[in-house]
Amino acid sequence: MVFRFRRTFQPKGGDRFVVNLGSEERAVIKAVCEDLASVLEDGEANPGLRRLFPTGHATDPEVDRQYQAMVHDDLLSSRREVLSAVGASAERDELDRATLEQWMVGLNAVRLVLGTVLDVSEDGLPDLDRDDPEIPAWAVYEFLGSVVDAAVAALAETLG
Amino acid sequence: MDLSLRPGTLRPALAGARLAAPAETEIELDEPDLDEDIDVELERPWIVLVWNDPINLMSYVTYVLQKLFGYSHEKAESLMLDVHEKGRAVVSNGSKEKAELDVFRLHEHGLWATMQKD
Repeated sequence: MVFRFRRTFQPKGGDRFVVNLGSEERAVIKAVCEDLASVLEDGEANPGLRRLFPTGHATDPEVDRQYQAMVHDDLLSSRREVLSAVGASAERDELDRATLEQWMVGLNAVRLVLGTVLDVSEDGLPDLDRDDPEIPAWAVYEFLGSVVDAAVAALAETLG
Repeated sequence: MDLSLRPGTLRPALAGARLAAPAETEIELDEPDLDEDIDVELERPWIVLVWNDPINLMSYVTYVLQKLFGYSHEKAESLMLDVHEKGRAVVSNGSKEKAELDVFRLHEHGLWATMQKD
């Protein structure tokens, strides 16, 4: 991973955060958000999206059905809105608090999808061969984890 | 192992990831163990549980609990550790409507939450 002398998100007061990311990293952030938004357009049958639309009640199908009927459209539009906001602000040098929270939530949603498909476990990174076809996806997963963690650190330290 | 980001590797990665999980493939996730008694002292009718998962970062779960419920960092971190170590924690309770709203907000933030009658 990239060794940094500067924090990825540097709080500068007034709920503003300076973004220290390179153009390649920003391109990755924009691309994953666009990719997930386009996957969502295809519908939610893809089991990789399972963590984005979880059950609301683990044992009572009727309560879960009521819950899904009530929230599904809101959950979908909320995800689209967040992904679109992150994509639109990916090149900005500075973010306000609300937008940084959207980065945190949107990039975490991408991690949930990648983590589901990669079958992530508590054991962390598996021992992959150097030519394993999953390595690029793991690289993105690990990178997004570092960005989300940096966003959480900046937001938590300035929580009012 | 080289985990550096390279231009042009992302789209194939996501495309490959999508191919790796065709619609007919059932992805195995640890389902919550539903036979366990949830030992809570609260008398309210509905509780909201957050379940452990291997993807969400511990720092992220703590922050989301602080933000959504106004909990102190100490309380949110203690709940997060319960989730991590015991597999689940009760994070809120109240009417069915409140539980539904809380579960929705937790789902919106990607946490694995369910509601149930206490």
